[in-house]
Formats: sequence, structure tokens, C-alpha cells
Amino acid sequence: MREEIKKPKLTKKQRNLIKAVILHFVLICASFGFIFPFLWMLFTALKTPQELLLGFQQFFPKDPQWGNFVTAVTKIPFFMYLKNSLIIVTLSVIGTLFSSTTAAYAFAKLRWRGRDKWFVIMLATMMIPIQVILIPTYIMYSYIGWLSTRLPLIVPAFFGGGAAFYIFLLRQFFKGIPKELTESAIIDGANHLQIFFKIMLPLSKPALLTVALFTFMATWNDYFGPLIFLSNPDHWTLAIGLRSFQTQFGGRYDLMMAASILIMLPTLILFFIAQKSFIEGITFTGIKG
Amino acid sequence: MKKLLLTLLFLLTALSVFGCAEDTDTDKTEIMFWHMSPVGSPSYSGMKTLINDFNDSQDLYVVKGIGFSFWDYWDKISVAIASRTAPNIGLSTIDDVVSRASTGALFDITTLMENDTTGVNTIDLNEYRQSQMDFATFEGDLYAMPFTATTRALYYNLDMFREIGLTEDDVPETWSELKTVAKMFDKVDTDGTIERLGFDPTYGDATYHGWLWETGLDFFDENLNPTLNTQGHVDVLNWILDFNSNFTRSQLSAFGEANTMLGLNPFAAERVAMIIGNDGLYQTIINSGATFDYGVSMIPIPDENGIHVNWGSGFSLEMYDNGNNTEAEIQGAFEFYKYLLSEDVQIQLAEINGWIMGHIDGMNEYVKDKPIMQALLAEVDYARDKVYVPYAPSWHGNDWQSYYTQILNGELTPEEGLLAARNHYLEKQQNYNSVNN
Amino acid sequence: MKTSSIKQLRKQENLIGHLFASPWLLGITILGAFPILASLYISFTTYDMIAAPKFIGLKNYIILFTNDEIFWKSLYNTFYHVFISVPLGLVVGISLALLLNNKIKGMSIYRTLFYLPNVVSIVAMALLWMWLFQPNFGIINEILKPVYRFLGMEPLQWYQAAKTSKITLILMGLWTAGGTMVIYLAQMQDIPVSLYESAEVDGANWLQKTFNITLPLMTPSIFFNFIMSIIGGFQVFTIAYIMTNGGPSRSTYYYAYYMFDKMMNDHSMGMASAMAWILLVIILIITLFALRLNKYVVYLGEES
Repeated sequence: MREEIKKPKLTKKQRNLIKAVILHFVLICASFGFIFPFLWMLFTALKTPQELLLGFQQFFPKDPQWGNFVTAVTKIPFFMYLKNSLIIVTLSVIGTLFSSTTAAYAFAKLRWRGRDKWFVIMLATMMIPIQVILIPTYIMYSYIGWLSTRLPLIVPAFFGGGAAFYIFLLRQFFKGIPKELTESAIIDGANHLQIFFKIMLPLSKPALLTVALFTFMATWNDYFGPLIFLSNPDHWTLAIGLRSFQTQFGGRYDLMMAASILIMLPTLILFFIAQKSFIEGITFTGIKG
Repeated sequence: MKKLLLTLLFLLTALSVFGCAEDTDTDKTEIMFWHMSPVGSPSYSGMKTLINDFNDSQDLYVVKGIGFSFWDYWDKISVAIASRTAPNIGLSTIDDVVSRASTGALFDITTLMENDTTGVNTIDLNEYRQSQMDFATFEGDLYAMPFTATTRALYYNLDMFREIGLTEDDVPETWSELKTVAKMFDKVDTDGTIERLGFDPTYGDATYHGWLWETGLDFFDENLNPTLNTQGHVDVLNWILDFNSNFTRSQLSAFGEANTMLGLNPFAAERVAMIIGNDGLYQTIINSGATFDYGVSMIPIPDENGIHVNWGSGFSLEMYDNGNNTEAEIQGAFEFYKYLLSEDVQIQLAEINGWIMGHIDGMNEYVKDKPIMQALLAEVDYARDKVYVPYAPSWHGNDWQSYYTQILNGELTPEEGLLAARNHYLEKQQNYNSVNN
Repeated sequence: MKTSSIKQLRKQENLIGHLFASPWLLGITILGAFPILASLYISFTTYDMIAAPKFIGLKNYIILFTNDEIFWKSLYNTFYHVFISVPLGLVVGISLALLLNNKIKGMSIYRTLFYLPNVVSIVAMALLWMWLFQPNFGIINEILKPVYRFLGMEPLQWYQAAKTSKITLILMGLWTAGGTMVIYLAQMQDIPVSLYESAEVDGANWLQKTFNITLPLMTPSIFFNFIMSIIGGFQVFTIAYIMTNGGPSRSTYYYAYYMFDKMMNDHSMGMASAMAWILLVIILIITLFALRLNKYVVYLGEES
């Protein structure tokens, strides 16, 4: 055996330290660009109306108006809007998870007549902008009398409405789960329902979390759907309430930013919690080696 | 985990069931009124009081008002009209009333006035401007009433005037005076960046057609064919281009960067000494808490043969015909309609929303102690609305803007730009006619 | 005997497939059919959203293709946008995910920071972009001043010049790469740690591990984001609406913007619907073509 003369290398510990330092440096630099809009929102929320006029000439507020956060909450029927948002969003998340996982499994792992044709149709539904189907959709809901309820924003979720994105996403993830797993389960006598609940779903936790998170965010921030399809103002959501700070003459941007930040917080917190599980990961007891 | 989800699901379904509003049973006819003061806006409580006062004053009808934020209101009302689920009374724009009247979406106000049985709050047409009512007339009858009246005027910063030794008498009245006075205010940094500007004909609410009208020209002739092909049109563009020719267009747009959505206005921020602003600028300045001394006067006109005119429009008050309105609804809506147009309520509406309302005497009363509003109100008498062109409803907006900015940037000469714009309108006219005949 | 049981199995799988897909199938055929088919019908009519639609056959389509110069301009702008933003978006998204898939301290915070623009209001983002890209007082041109001087060129006018406006908007769009990053991170969690460990035993460095393990196993989500960014790219609108109003010189007047104007400003809902269906056909053709690539590009757990 030849002794290879190696140059003195860094120890693994030293290599990791350097790697960590470089990473931190790069990330901090890049983060600044990403955190700026949030900082701007925060500072705007804390400024006085006069300071707002100065625009970029004055970045920091001189006398932070923390009271703006209180005003933002008290000026609009915050808690009624919050309740409505929670109802609509939670039911939408549950409904979307239900209808998108089932459809994705059908597209990914099952063979049925017309599957590929329906897959293309599903993709095609993402290619139609909402504005051109808005009026017919509105007329349809008006006809069946749903406009006075919250149903137009809840029921479609349980039937895959607006879920083409998630169906496609989950289909990709399901397809990535090795055939061997499902095949051996079938040999063991499992039916598809059991495979679905005991193999596919547990192994797709990161994907399911992503779908839940994205659905939450999209529904939580959606003002257009509630605006058009909820004719009863008692059903309005936080996203609509936010817009009442914006008036014809410019509006109170300080209050608007304060309200925006408050409304933004749940999504941020949820994201933080969700992505933590991305680090933990899933130890995959694979069949190979 | 599953248990948690299930309990959550149960709770929420329960909430949503109980959360449904119970309708109070009344014998009164419910009238729906849509306006632009949502809960949480400064004008919300005022509007609510106004509506409650009407409801308390009689016991046949109860008006329910829903306010949408200004930017959302238009989406809402257009979907409602398209689906024939419009409210009994709502606001729209006065310049295109004809498009709704001609398709049967509106109730005939003249007929309603003639058949008015209660005689309460009768509408006095002398209190409203004929020029606005002309826009709301279709086949001889009124289909809407002018609710508000807007205008554009010259705003000038008096503090800045005094700073360089000028007085209110020096406020310019002609185009050449405007240029001379404006140049006195320009302040430039050592490295060439603009610090302060006197005036620019493209800032604020100034428009090309606004300047054009002062020379007696327009975009369209009486038959709604596009013009834009005379030397006069070119001359106005050249005047606009030459005004601040010592600066580049990019410098000027950066300096005057204004954006209502983002709350930026160069006059309120004291970057310019004079600006063309609409009546809303008055509110913006109040809202921003700016404290400088300023005044309002007429927009300067061309030195020779200049016409005193400005672009003004307004909201219209309309009653919507869904094809299934009951007689009681129509009568009740009309009672509220008259209420909204009565003098005292018009004054209240001005106070609540900061708008210049349509009622002439009412507004004269309202502005008695507000000198700036008096000046603005005086300009309303010279306001003219833009003609409604069916084949190009936004002829002054997205149809014209790209050619205008290309001319301003120097990418096209005025002649080239006007020619391209004219061809664009002709193309639109052609396409519209081939589809609608 | 054997053949009949296979037939039975196939029939069963067919039934179960339909069963699993039934919520979505019911949704699209009951809730989705009417609005979609109605919009198709409207595209053959003239409809100003007040009076009832009036049938005019193919006139809208003919006008768009033969007598509308802005139609082609907006189509060109949109294709330009798609061809540049899709590859760029993929590279940035994957790079971000690779960067943020390390187990160093504070990774959670970094990931949240990079995702922040997707959560923040679009108004705040617009202000950020103005602060960065404003040709006269923006930070980017301030930083690049010495570079401009060295190259002897005028400062770039970013979103205020027709030549650079589309690229500027594409760069602005990169701020929301956090969205695709999340999907990549989720996919990366499914990569068995054992694969990396055995690679390290064989002496592989970070680059080799990435290109031989990570990227191939990420192809399902890369492909997903590829298709989605094509579909989304063709519908680009909001950013131009907020930042440039379609200008300068209609350089950022995208197809969806023109369609929006047709609907909201011209009140030509029929024409707008025709535009929507034309766009759908275009995106569908390109997507079907891209789906073909699936076979060659995506490594699926199904194949060994």
C-alpha cells in the first residue's frame, strides 16, 4: 500500500467553522434586502402623518407612535373580522388538504380511465385569470343564494376549488415515494385507503405542511374573494378591514401599516413553526441499503 | 393530533352556524345604499348618523348602508350592475351615465320626480349645475343627479412666495407669467440635483387635455372622431416640454414622483411652489398635517385667446333597476334619494367626506368660513367634464398615457406622438364599430 | 382464471381512482363548469357588463389577430418575461434552498427572513423597489456610481427606460423566490441522510454531493416549479400595475395588463374573455410540451 503524502489539511471542526462563518456572512448580507420592506412597514407604522410625507428622506421615526397599533385594532371591528377570517381560513385549509391529497393520490398512484386527460384539465384551470370568470361565478352564487353566507369561500375548498396548485404539488411528492413501498403493502393485503392513510400521508409531512401553510396564507390575505362574494358586511374578513384605511385622498398609511403588521403576524409565526420541522426532517427507513 | 383537528372543526362549524346574522323581522321595506365609507374610515360614523336620521324621520322604510373602501367600491358596483344585483341607491361617475341609462340599468329620475307623491325634500334642479345634469340626461330625461363636483386649480405655497419677496398679487394668471414666476423658485444642488422647483405642467393633477381645453382644442370633434392633428395640439405639447427644459425628464419625474396609493405628493411635501391640484389635494394636505400657508386660484391660461376652463367631474347618485324591484322599494329609495340631495344633507355630506357636493346653495353655505374651499368652489363653475367616448372610455387614461410619456421622454416628437395616438383611436373606433353594429 | 382477476383488479383500481378523485371531479364539473363555459361563450359576444351579451361569433378573435397592434406588443412583452424569469427564478430558488438547507444555528430565522417578502404587503414591496431601483435616488445606482464612472456610461434607468424595464421587473420578482424555496426545502427533507453519509465515506465534497444526490432527487419539485413559473409567468400583471403602469412606452404592458384594461377601462368583457382563452391555449400548448420533458428530466422514486 502506498503512503500518500498529503498536505496538512484543516480538521473537520475547523472546516465546519469556516463554512459556518461564510454562510452567516452571506446570509446576513442577503437578508438585509429581504428584511427591508418589513422594517419600512414597521417604521411607517410608528411615524406621525407629517413624517410620512418626508418619504425616504427620513427612515427612522423620531417619536415611535406605538398607539397606532391600538388605534388600528379599535377603529375597525377587529374581532368580528378576526372571527370571520379564522372560520374561513381554517375550514379552507381543512377542505384543501382533504380534496388535494385525495386528488393527488389518484393522479399519482392510481390508474383510472381519463386520468391523464383530467390532469391536463386540472392544469388548465390555473391558466384562466379570475377576472374573466368573476361575473359568471358571482351570478352562479347569486342564483343559489349563497352570497348572504360564507359558503362561497368555504365550500369550493372541499371540492378542490383553487387547489390545482396543491394537487400538482402533492402529486409530485407522492410520485417521489418509491413504488416498492406501495407494492409490498398491496402484497401484504392492504387496500388503497390504508395505503393512503398509513403510507402516503405520513411520508409527505413536509409537503402537507407546505400545502397547509400556503393555503392559510392565501386565504388569510385574500381580500378580493371576500369583497366580491360576501354581501353581508358582518361576514367580512381582516383582509377587507385592512383596506378601509386607504381612502380616496391617500389615507392613513401609519394605521394601515400597523394593521398590516398585526395581520401579518399569524402567517409569520406559522411559517416559523412549520419550517422548523423541515430541519428535523424525516428519517426515511428506505428499502435500499 | 387528529382529536385536536376534529374538535377544532366542530367548534368552527358551530361558530359559523351561530355566527350567521339573524335578520330582525320588520314590516318596513329595506332599502340598500352603497357608499364609500367603510367601517374604520374617518367618514363612517358621519354616514351612519345621516342614514339613522333618515330612518328615524319616517316609519315606512329602513335604509341599510354598506360602505366599501374607495378602491374596492368600483369593483363591487360593476359586478353588481352586471349581475343585476345592484343596490337600490349607489354612486357612480357622472361622465358615463349614458352607458348605464341606455341599457336600462337605471331608473328614470325625471319620471320619478313627476310622479312624486310625498312632496318631501323635492329636488330643486336650479340648485344643480346644468353642465353636470347634461351628462346625466338620456333621451331628454335625467337618469342620475350630480352628487359631487370636482375641479382642478392652481395651488401655490404662500410661505415660499413671501420667502423670495413675492405677494399674493404675483400669483400668475397667464402661461408666460406662470413660467416667469416659476423660474424664480428653482433651487439646484451643487451636483445638479433639484432641491426645489417652481412648477411643472406634468405634476399633480395636470393633464394634457386640461391644457388643451384652455386653447379651445380637444381630443375629439362633435362626432367623436379623434382630432389631435392640428398645429395647436403640437404647440401645447411643445409648451409643456419647454417649460423645464433645463432639466432632464428623468430628473423631473424623480423629483415629482407622486403616488396617491403610497401617499406621496410633492406640493404637500413642500418640494414645489405651485402645482395643479384637484379639490382632493386640500384634504390630502389636511390629512398629512402640513402647516404651511397656501392659496388656490384659477389655472393660468394662454396669453392670447385663453379660455378659463378646468377638468372637473363628479360622482353621480343613481337608482339601479334590477328588473325585480318592488314598488315600495322604488318609492322608498326615491325618498332617500331626495333626502340625500336636500340642502342640509348636502352640507352634512361635505363635512363628513370632504367632498364638494353638487348642491350650489348648500356649498356656498358650507364654504363660508373656509377660504381655500371658496376658491375651489369658484373654480367648479368653470369645470368641464370629459366627453364619453364609447369606443375609448379611457381615452385620457391608458389609451393616451403611453404616447404622452413617450413624447415627454423625447422618444417621439410631438407630431409623431400625436399621429400615433390618433391612429390608435381610429383603430379602436374601427374595431368598436365592427363589433357593435 | 388469472386474466379475469387482473381484469377485476383493473376495474377495482379504476373505481378507486375515480373515488379518490371525486371531490375534485365534482368540484370542477359542478362548481367550475358554469363560470368557465360562460366565459368561453362571452368571448364570442360583445358584452359591456351592463346590457346582456350579444353574440358576434369570431369577431373578437379576428380583431385581436388582425387589427390590434397592442395585442402583439403585449404578447411579445409577456413571452420576453417568461423566457427570462423562468430560468432565472429556478436558479435563484434552488440556490436559496441549497443555501438554507444547512444545519447551522439560526437557520430558522434566516429562512423566515427570506420568506418575509411573500408575507409582506405589496405596497411595502413597491416602496422597497422604489428605494432600490429609483434611477436618481435609489440605492443600487448609488452603489454602482463608481462602476458607471469606470465604464463611462450613463446610470441605468431601470424601470424608467423601455430597454431595461422588463429586466428590472424580473429582478424585483426575484424577491418572492422564498415561495419556491419552501417547496424545495420540503422536497429535500425526503432525501435519505444515509445517501449523504455513504457519499462522504467515498470522499465526495459538497459540490459532488449536490450535483449527484441533492439535485437529481429534487427534480420532482424543480419540475413542479418549472411548470408553475411558466403558468404564472404568462399571467404577470400586478408588479407592472403597481410600479410602471405598463410603461415606459408600453414596454411592461403585459398581456394580462392589456386584458385587464380591456375589461375595466374599455368595458369590453367579450374581447377580454377572448384574450383570456387565447392565453389559455398558448399556455396549454407550452405546458403540454414541457410535460413531455417529464420523462427525461425527473427522477422519480418509482424507477430504480
